Amino acid sequence: MRSIDFNPSSRTLTAPGVWCLLAALVYGTEKPDFNRDVRPILANHCLRCHGPDHRQRKTELRFDAPASLFDDRGGYRVINRKQPENSELLVRINSRDDDLRMPPRDSPSQPTSEEIDILRRWIVSGANWTAHWAFVPPQRPIVPVVRPVSEVENEIDSFIVSKLRQKDLHPSTQANRSTLIRRVTLALTGLPPTPDDVDAFLQDESPDAYERLVDRLLSSRAYGEHMAIGWLDAARYADSAGYQADWERFMWPWRDWVIQAFNDNMPFDQFTIEQLAGDMLPDATMSQQLATGFNRNHRINDEGGSLDAEFEVEYVVDRVDTTATVWLGLTAGCARCHDHKYDPLSQREFYQLYAYFNNVPEKGIDGRKGAARPFINVPNQHTERQLNELNAELDKLKSDGTDHTTRIRQIEEQSKLLRKNVTTPVMVMQEQAPREPAYLLKRGAYDHPDKSEVIPPALPKVFQSLTDATPGDRLQLAHWIVSPQNPLTARVIINRLWQHHFGSGLVKTSEDFGTRGEPASHPNLLDWLATEFVRTGWDIKAMHRRIVTSSTFRQVSTQTPAQRQRDPGNRLLSRGPRLRLTGAAIRDQAMAISGLMTPVIGGPPVKPYQPEGLWKELSFGTGKTTIDFYVQDHGQNLYRRSVYTFWKRTVAPPRMAVFDGGSRAMCRVRSESTNTPLQALTLQNDVTFVEASRHLAERMLKAGASNSSKGLELGWRLAMTRRPSPDELNVLELALNRNIRIFRANPEQADQLLSNGESQVNHELDPPVHAAWTIVALSILNLDETITRE
Amino acid sequence: MNLQTQSMPDERVLHLTRRHFFGRGATGIGLAALTSLCSQNVTAAHERVAAVLPHFAPKAKRVIYLFQSGGPSQMDLFDHKPQMDQYFDSELPDEVRMGQRITTMTSRQTRFPVAPSAFRFRRHGDSGASISELLPYTATVADELCFVKSMVTEAINHDPAITFFQTGTQLSGRPSIGSWFSYGLGSENANLPHFIAMTSQGTGLRSAQPLYDRLWGSGFLPTTHQGVKLRSSKDPVLYLNNPAGISPHVKRALLDDVAALNRKRLDVVGDPEIATRIAQYEMAFRMQTSIPELINFSDEPQHVIEMYGPEVHTRGSYASNCLLARRLSERGVRFVQLFHKGWDQHGNLPKAIRSQCKDTDQPSAALVKDLRQQGLLDETLVVWGGEFGRTTYCQGELSRKKYGRDHHPRCFTIWMAGGGIKPGISHGETDDFSYNVTSDPVQVHDLHATMLHLMGIDHRRLTYRFQGRNHRLTDVHGNVVQSLLG
Repeated sequence: MRSIDFNPSSRTLTAPGVWCLLAALVYGTEKPDFNRDVRPILANHCLRCHGPDHRQRKTELRFDAPASLFDDRGGYRVINRKQPENSELLVRINSRDDDLRMPPRDSPSQPTSEEIDILRRWIVSGANWTAHWAFVPPQRPIVPVVRPVSEVENEIDSFIVSKLRQKDLHPSTQANRSTLIRRVTLALTGLPPTPDDVDAFLQDESPDAYERLVDRLLSSRAYGEHMAIGWLDAARYADSAGYQADWERFMWPWRDWVIQAFNDNMPFDQFTIEQLAGDMLPDATMSQQLATGFNRNHRINDEGGSLDAEFEVEYVVDRVDTTATVWLGLTAGCARCHDHKYDPLSQREFYQLYAYFNNVPEKGIDGRKGAARPFINVPNQHTERQLNELNAELDKLKSDGTDHTTRIRQIEEQSKLLRKNVTTPVMVMQEQAPREPAYLLKRGAYDHPDKSEVIPPALPKVFQSLTDATPGDRLQLAHWIVSPQNPLTARVIINRLWQHHFGSGLVKTSEDFGTRGEPASHPNLLDWLATEFVRTGWDIKAMHRRIVTSSTFRQVSTQTPAQRQRDPGNRLLSRGPRLRLTGAAIRDQAMAISGLMTPVIGGPPVKPYQPEGLWKELSFGTGKTTIDFYVQDHGQNLYRRSVYTFWKRTVAPPRMAVFDGGSRAMCRVRSESTNTPLQALTLQNDVTFVEASRHLAERMLKAGASNSSKGLELGWRLAMTRRPSPDELNVLELALNRNIRIFRANPEQADQLLSNGESQVNHELDPPVHAAWTIVALSILNLDETITRE
Repeated sequence: MNLQTQSMPDERVLHLTRRHFFGRGATGIGLAALTSLCSQNVTAAHERVAAVLPHFAPKAKRVIYLFQSGGPSQMDLFDHKPQMDQYFDSELPDEVRMGQRITTMTSRQTRFPVAPSAFRFRRHGDSGASISELLPYTATVADELCFVKSMVTEAINHDPAITFFQTGTQLSGRPSIGSWFSYGLGSENANLPHFIAMTSQGTGLRSAQPLYDRLWGSGFLPTTHQGVKLRSSKDPVLYLNNPAGISPHVKRALLDDVAALNRKRLDVVGDPEIATRIAQYEMAFRMQTSIPELINFSDEPQHVIEMYGPEVHTRGSYASNCLLARRLSERGVRFVQLFHKGWDQHGNLPKAIRSQCKDTDQPSAALVKDLRQQGLLDETLVVWGGEFGRTTYCQGELSRKKYGRDHHPRCFTIWMAGGGIKPGISHGETDDFSYNVTSDPVQVHDLHATMLHLMGIDHRRLTYRFQGRNHRLTDVHGNVVQSLLG
């Protein structure tokens, strides 16, 4: 690319000429908002060459810093506030002379005429310049006054409704109670409400019935299990190492720590500090050390022939990336090899962050024994519990005087076996002395450290101006991350809570709050929630409660073409959220409504049904690792919640993968929701759902013993909470009768259908009838509404 | 199965489309959803890309990539170095090695003795391509092939190296090459996925290095673009078959009921996602027919079957996968990728490579011939190659007939054929030891840029915004290798 400076001597077109041309094209009259409208244009089209990256910069002119834009550059200014039409920016961007035009014709990004008009209007209206909003600490905004007050349940609604009013839109009506209880139960627990829950709620006429429902859900154990999944995605949690041979590892006690922390409603600042630096707290408890497993969940390489030095670097980079994405909403990884092209993060500053995370006594090539150094041996509560039970029995047997020799011997042998498993090695963070020096790695390469200077741990400059003293170590960094001096954490976290409930964050790019991220749809609401989050002592449950009790959350989720046109993507929230369930929730729901689910919390991961050979096809296939082959569990472990399913990184659990479950290879805080034929095949044919249908059918059949429509209605309500319409019921009735005829004529097919899955078949039921109900139940599990949170 | 009931749902779905799209106005249904209903599984993001793609007239319409996992030995197969003979068991000269990083598997060796190939080479075809005796069948199609002897990669261990070839970076998390093609060009067949991956186990090694499903994953692209693995088990696509006890008749009726109930819901809530789901259920149903048809070779003439060799009858073999690749490609699947394990011959290479070549030589050559005979070769780009090459110096014990070779990133050979590739040429040169490239190096990003170019895509312009930046398969690198183009 050419490097032409803004040199007025080479001008061939006079500015006023362009100005007249341009003025004729009036696109809009509104004064553009700098952060929302203008900054993204500059970021997209200018910063690549005129941005923070000093190596890519073609001249000293920078579009990320105001000084050079407004200064007199020897007779002209890039932006001339007094004579907007003489702004060099407008001259260049509109020039037809290829030598003058910016961006150059061969640049991959070219502004649209609409974008050029926004720049024009911005300059004409005074070219107001403010710092990127996300780097300025949130101030508590004034809550707008909205009338009628009936539309407002809490502060959230004031912000949402006032914005809708500005756009001449109205909020939708409130959803009915059965929709609401299903929506909020799925949102907070990942499970559907039971018919008893629903009846109780429908009959509860007290004014705070909904609020009490929310409180009950927030205190259920299922809440922690459900909330943990998003955190495990962000923390790239898995049960295997992730490179090449993909050895088994045992991070599940850390996963249980997360579930427990959510259920205990651990304040988010403590949740943060313990996970980032619990090991460095004074007299760190076992639990605080265990929490630091967060930053050891990254993949670890074991491949023969690989170099320690290379992978030591990768792990530290992963920690910086993950920590920056999860808490700061920053794409720090971009600055590993060069200065960030769009955000104020230089390559040197990346290695300042690196220096917080590189002082771990670890090896690049490790992890064949389940845990790579450093690790701690965490007492295995499940084994302990079993041992205690056996001991109690032993004491009892010994004290009652009669002869129990056989049983006593059994117990002693069992205990001996269990004692071998009494602790689990879990990888954690630790500091070593002397301190490992950090160097800038040229082009990010492990073998190109710039040893001329040791880089000390420090915050990037953009944050230093807001801070009294830069954190000196990982613990201080953790404290800074949740301090009021950090403009990002509260916003980033509250945005992800919002995303959890509405499908999109207020900042849609929840992983990127930088200049290339999407500006917030409701910036004041975001800041109000962020300040409220801190004010309430980082109370996560309180924030969930606030969101789900808003009337915004409680709107109906039906939509009309007119609504879609005026509020595409529901970004203004003129209606309630309608979201497809995650793969985990789809399976858990089927387990729950069929009555199959094993409600046990925590413990080692389990191996439910999975098509044969999936692991073997890709692994060494020789039993070199403990997980070359998938050895499926039996009995209760087949029906545990999906958060406990064994996650082998090189072969993701197929049911999760097909429903956009990601790979757990790296940090992920946002996922797509696709709609594919493979999902249809899974729901129809996976034994998981066929077996669940058999059990759901049993429940329906019992309820419908004398009157089939009662049974059909129960199945419908279990899956969708609401009662079916007569039309819908009719479809099911016809299906049931048709299938009874078919299976009566083909009893061997009925037996085959009922043989799907390992659970006991109820032989008291007439097989053709049971089979027919199973088909109807399977139809119910396949309905769009069943796998959707309406 | 009753054909009439089978076609009915499509009619109803189309009717539904018309009703929603026209009856409720142009905004009645999202464009992406409409496209889905018109039986093209395309996302909105792809919609935006498709509007400008291809960037120019493509030479090839489809790709078949025969990935030889483990790193085939270039100097035992294609890169003939008769000069090495005189250096047998003598130390690799320092001026050749030039401080090159070597893996920790051989870095502790006290000697790096040169191991000349134990195999004879002959020149073949009008082009005079030099090919080892290990590959007699490949030799018969020499004039169709374009050899790149100067491939270079940055990685020296399997995981980073294969990840680099598949995604353009050594770190995991980026979209695979096939998913980029799916994202850019979509599919030509409504009844099959855009990108299909198959794996097979070589017979050269008992324990071959593993693969990972992220190698055909979609990274940050929508999951719709991830490769679908076609397996040799009873369910060629996961959960394709009806469960025991559910006959096709019962299943069809079940799907009709589900569709009827979904349509009722669509009328009430108006979410176009429901319409898409109805269409995807129909595509799933069509896959239940199209995939069994695909994997059933009974409609292939005997002479075609025989061309692929006896192993073609073993489901899951490389030979069977090669024939499947042709059948998939012929049906319009954009990107088909085979992964054949077992080329990682650290010890006793001469024995192991013999079996490995026996697995792959005849089927690879048959695929090229078959495509030519069916008139498909000109529009199908075939690529054969691994993630790196192997060292000229011996790993472990050395004799004339027995030696091992370690990983070597600095030069290795791949071949391409068909779709816009110049046939019968050899590109690039290496030194007397097949250790360094001496002219026309081709980087992995260059290969990717060239493959995209052949498919009508400017590699600099196929981008996807993720984490604030426009990503592409070639990152910030890559040049189209003009001299490979026909």
